Amino acid sequence: MNSLTDNKKTIGIPRAISYYSNYPFYYGFFTALGLDIILSDKTTSKTINDGCKYVVSDTCLPVKVYVGHVINLLEKGCETIFIPSLQASAYKVNNCSKIRGLPEIIRNVIDKSINIIDPEINKTEGISFKDFCYDFAARFDITDKNIIESAIKNGWEVYNNFHKMANSGLGFEDALNNAIKGIMVTKPVQVVKPLSVVIMAHGYNLFDERISLNLIKKLDKMGVKSYTALNVTKENAIKSIEDMGEIQYWANELELTGTAAYYMINNKVDGIIALSAFGCGPDSLMVDEVQYHAKEKNLPMIHINIDEHTGEAGFVTRIEAFVDMLFRKKRRTLEKENVINLLHTAANKSKNNPEKEKHKEEVLTK
Amino acid sequence: MIIKDKNGNITISQMDDTISAKERIIAWPRMGNIDLSMEALVSSLGAKIVMPPPNTNQALEIGVKNSIEGICLPYKLNLANYVMALEKGANTLMMFQAPGSCRFGNYTKMAQKTLKKMGYEFDMCVFDMYQSKMKQTLKAFWHVTHCLNPYRYYKGFSTGFNKAFAIDTAERLLFYTRPRELNKGDAERCYKKWYQIIHETTSISGCKKLKKQVIEDFQTIPIDKDRVVPKVYLLGEFFVLLDPYTNQEIEKTLGDLGVEVERQIFFSDWLEHVLKPSFFYKKESHRERCVRYAQDYMKRAIGGECIETVGDTVYGARNGIDGIIHIMPFSCMPEIVAQNILPKVSKQEDIPVLELVLDEQTGKAGNITRIEAFIDLVKRRKLKRGK
Repeated sequence: MNSLTDNKKTIGIPRAISYYSNYPFYYGFFTALGLDIILSDKTTSKTINDGCKYVVSDTCLPVKVYVGHVINLLEKGCETIFIPSLQASAYKVNNCSKIRGLPEIIRNVIDKSINIIDPEINKTEGISFKDFCYDFAARFDITDKNIIESAIKNGWEVYNNFHKMANSGLGFEDALNNAIKGIMVTKPVQVVKPLSVVIMAHGYNLFDERISLNLIKKLDKMGVKSYTALNVTKENAIKSIEDMGEIQYWANELELTGTAAYYMINNKVDGIIALSAFGCGPDSLMVDEVQYHAKEKNLPMIHINIDEHTGEAGFVTRIEAFVDMLFRKKRRTLEKENVINLLHTAANKSKNNPEKEKHKEEVLTK
Repeated sequence: MIIKDKNGNITISQMDDTISAKERIIAWPRMGNIDLSMEALVSSLGAKIVMPPPNTNQALEIGVKNSIEGICLPYKLNLANYVMALEKGANTLMMFQAPGSCRFGNYTKMAQKTLKKMGYEFDMCVFDMYQSKMKQTLKAFWHVTHCLNPYRYYKGFSTGFNKAFAIDTAERLLFYTRPRELNKGDAERCYKKWYQIIHETTSISGCKKLKKQVIEDFQTIPIDKDRVVPKVYLLGEFFVLLDPYTNQEIEKTLGDLGVEVERQIFFSDWLEHVLKPSFFYKKESHRERCVRYAQDYMKRAIGGECIETVGDTVYGARNGIDGIIHIMPFSCMPEIVAQNILPKVSKQEDIPVLELVLDEQTGKAGNITRIEAFIDLVKRRKLKRGK
């Protein structure tokens, strides 16, 4: 037992990019392999500033944040850092170049001693998920097939629990904490809100409270229920993209087009908020695609670009204006329906009542 | 139209037979000297052609107006080419695509949607370079022309290839001669003359001779062989390298400053590499060489021309090149990764690198100042080393 604890290895995971989509799996998998996980601290302005120092200015915000988190891990004294290269999630469905090249960027921009664990997943070239896991384990001299298989199983279990909870409406943080503790909470208290919107954004933008400037909570305070990619199952997202007449081109398209398409097709929301980092390649196409279909459906949509300079006031103003507009629109449609109902009932009850007629006109002009 | 094939792969079918082959008027987006070869091929298959006017500010304006803000510069120009060609009467648009690289794989899909929204009626013929190269290409050309005569295909491909080789040779020689010529403007005139001749030659035997004639003619230009000429590699994104409007004729600027430019990406090289079946291609391809040289810095290709840029920089540094100029359109994803890697390469391999990001609003003066400063640095460095 002693020898085991002595040999216990640590691995650092930056709290950015793939953390927001795959961390439950990483947690289950790594702990079952006997590794200690060190997470970087939550994103702050310092993280972003640190990141900006190392990469060129054209790089997008999430990558800058990622570099900042790696620096944070190095400052904590953790030199073994997990930076996966997620190239293609299916045949010909590739990720953004910057995410594919993350280990490449980190290796070349950071001049400190660093041990990068960069297993690759690239289904276009035939490097499957299993290879990814075995490659990872091999870096820690774990080659026993049984141990790895059971670790993978453990990883999936945590991952699936997380998604079950998130699907039922639990927030990202709560679902993650519960999944890691092994607790299953299914139905949180459902509060009925007057408005609902779908936020189409990458998990790493939306659930990072510094990057998204707490968008979900802000909407919550304004009385708007927000749906995210976590509320849609993978199958539904894939099906919705097909139903909309599009094909999946990007590996992370399900988070954006898939989510927006699901709520758009099922008429569940009053509006769409697109949140993307400035200069994001895939987003520029996906947002345009959704915009095109939203226009056809006459659904209000706002596209908010974020970068490291985002002043919070401007951001809030835009959100507020959008929400106000949604409220007005909803009120008007509801009033119209009500007025029509009123007119019908009034017409049936008394046909010759001038006072009531007057009242009706007033309602209409309002 | 979404079609699922046997393997479950989803493809969009772009091959509609809505327009009969005889009525087709074909156009394609501009990119460098691609027109010469495409024209030779398509016209030998017996189809009518409409050429969009060369890329200008006016074209860019059309592109910018009709596309989204965040998309990259090549798409905006492509779209403008389509619009201008359709205005001139084209009804069939041809384009190749290679999904899985970057945003490029989405160009045709987006362009189709945008053009339909703008109210144009057309048929877009896309050949997918990712699946099978020669087969896809043949299929696409058969689809637009319905030409069954194999001799015409042979003639088209033969003349097309030879024209591409000839013009690229001319361009290479132009880059070599321009900084060394004794009478300013000789090389440029010679190149323009040959561009015209290559454009006008149609016979197979005539096209085969072109390359030799070009070499012979360039050799007659008087040059100063002893002049110390620094050599600069021009690297970066495929489209901006080949399109003279987008890169603001950077080769000419450099040549006039007395610098020999070497561009690693030429249309003919790419054509040969892409279209020739791999078992014919014996020597190490450009890409393979790049992967070999880049391995100290990059473990894997990440799409686009990132690995080529890094590999060529290392190759240049180890083979006596004096400087690297890396050009890219604004917000190009693979090149941003390359841009992040290049500072380290520059430091370790000891080679100066200049980054130029090209955008629709770029003023020429600012870039020229930067290029001049960079060339001064390169020249001084070379002189120091020479001693």
